[in-house]
Amino acid sequence: MSSKLAILFVAGVAALCAQETPANNPVKINLPPDSPLTLISTDLGDSHVSQRGSAVVLDLDVGLTLHNSSPNRVRGVTLLVAAQEVTPGGKASVSVPSLDVAPNQNFPVRINLRLLRPAQMGSGPLVEVNLDGVLFQDYSFYGPNRLDCRRTMTAWELEAQRDRKYFKSILAAHGMEGLKHAMLQSLSRQAERPRLDVQVSRGRAVASAAVGEHAVQFAFLRFPGEPVEPVAGWAEIAGNEARNPRIDVHNLSARQVRSVEIDWMVTDRQGKQYMAGSVPASGPEFNLKAGSTSRVLQDTALRLSRLANDGGTPLSIAGMTGFVGQVEFADGKVWIPNREALANAQLLGILEPSPEEQRLMDLYRKKGPKALADELNKF
Amino acid sequence: MTHPDQTILALYAGQDLGWFRRQRTRRHLAGCRECRDEVQAFASARDHLAALNELPAISWNRLAMEMKANIRLGLAAGECVRGERMADALGLFGIFSGARTVAAGASVIALVTMGLFLERPTPPAPPAISSDGAVLRATASGIELNQDGQTLSLLHVRSGDVTYSAGVQGSMTAGYVDADTGNVTINNLYVQ
Repeated sequence: MSSKLAILFVAGVAALCAQETPANNPVKINLPPDSPLTLISTDLGDSHVSQRGSAVVLDLDVGLTLHNSSPNRVRGVTLLVAAQEVTPGGKASVSVPSLDVAPNQNFPVRINLRLLRPAQMGSGPLVEVNLDGVLFQDYSFYGPNRLDCRRTMTAWELEAQRDRKYFKSILAAHGMEGLKHAMLQSLSRQAERPRLDVQVSRGRAVASAAVGEHAVQFAFLRFPGEPVEPVAGWAEIAGNEARNPRIDVHNLSARQVRSVEIDWMVTDRQGKQYMAGSVPASGPEFNLKAGSTSRVLQDTALRLSRLANDGGTPLSIAGMTGFVGQVEFADGKVWIPNREALANAQLLGILEPSPEEQRLMDLYRKKGPKALADELNKF
Repeated sequence: MTHPDQTILALYAGQDLGWFRRQRTRRHLAGCRECRDEVQAFASARDHLAALNELPAISWNRLAMEMKANIRLGLAAGECVRGERMADALGLFGIFSGARTVAAGASVIALVTMGLFLERPTPPAPPAISSDGAVLRATASGIELNQDGQTLSLLHVRSGDVTYSAGVQGSMTAGYVDADTGNVTINNLYVQ
């Protein structure tokens, strides 16, 4: 590091520390007094400051060590990261699902964050980290849930159980060789999964969308036992843009539904399918009582292109397919499709792997099949 | 015909020869397809190297760890050759026939995995979301929220494969396994 940068770094950190009155630290961690997690340590690791023109770039490498002071095993944590002076219109979160933290155990959470801001800023806290939620083994939950993390962490935990069960069944039926084959298949699917460059605009029309725009109906995939079924849906298509998806969903269950997430796939002229995004519906305006029908609506435009290494050309949308990816009932319980249904619908090669499958693949790659089998047998 | 040696051809491909030697080599190439092919190969390799030069700072320890993991993966896949009967029983590799095909497939998987790692600095699916001045996008190192020239980014600096997804309500997600902690980490940015 040059001497100028060293001086800049020292000055920057000093300025940051000066802003932070209570902890003498650029990052303020707020855990409620009754939180089931306590903060053991904060490590700023490789954090550094650099200058870009008249702006300052702060790279914060925050390593937190948290302690599970509850009597339950922790399965997931979501932290809300706020830098209000920098991005008043946005917020961020860092979630760590697929955990298995016993009571009185410590565990790490890492936040890597970069802020680009003018050199002259106010004196408020730079970055505040607040606990948004903790999910426990018995699906109980603690936290303000400002980001609706209870639903997402519950869904991840259900996916984790589903995928572990699948790999455990392979291990039980076909031993270590079978597990290896199943893992190689997962890795291969992940490597070959078709991907798109997706741009999404909210709340305003995309200028080019008006030319040649026409309404196209969704085709829907149905899963056995799904509590909500998509009935009909449309979006306006113009070239590689799809706008304003409207999907009618019918509640087949006897329970009130709080939120629904429809996964949205597109098909190109060659018949290849890609995941475009998810269309969630929740909140007070979305009211789906037992047996009723409601509309999932987003004022949104998707612009789809092939990846740069695949030519980067606009994708001509030939068709759209939707399916129910997640349902949350009013009592907080969540439904997800089972693995067999996804395999039968040939979706495993198109959908992203669950966080747990990602973790298991990584474990297999780095430590081998024995370590994977040991991990599966822990649950 | 006397051919220029490999060094000369490599320097020619990189336009690093002096004027006199360059003209001489050009005359030779005009009549020698074999050497033209060599030059083409050097030029192609040079392009690849140029692309690799754009890699950000690499953690060599982590790269070594990844390579070790991929070698393990290759070995594991190789072992599948011995377990061919097992594969047939499972029907998992029904389309393959013969140990050589399976070994070749395993090599391809290992190669693809390594390729994906090396390609990681340019993310595979960089979506972007905008909402009245605030823009969300994926970059080489993470996901970024930009508003009025100020940015907030969540980075994935210690990660292997990263999966991105866009929520059309205005969110961007990047999921990866943190190489240090082994925990899955899911970064989210939202526009309000």
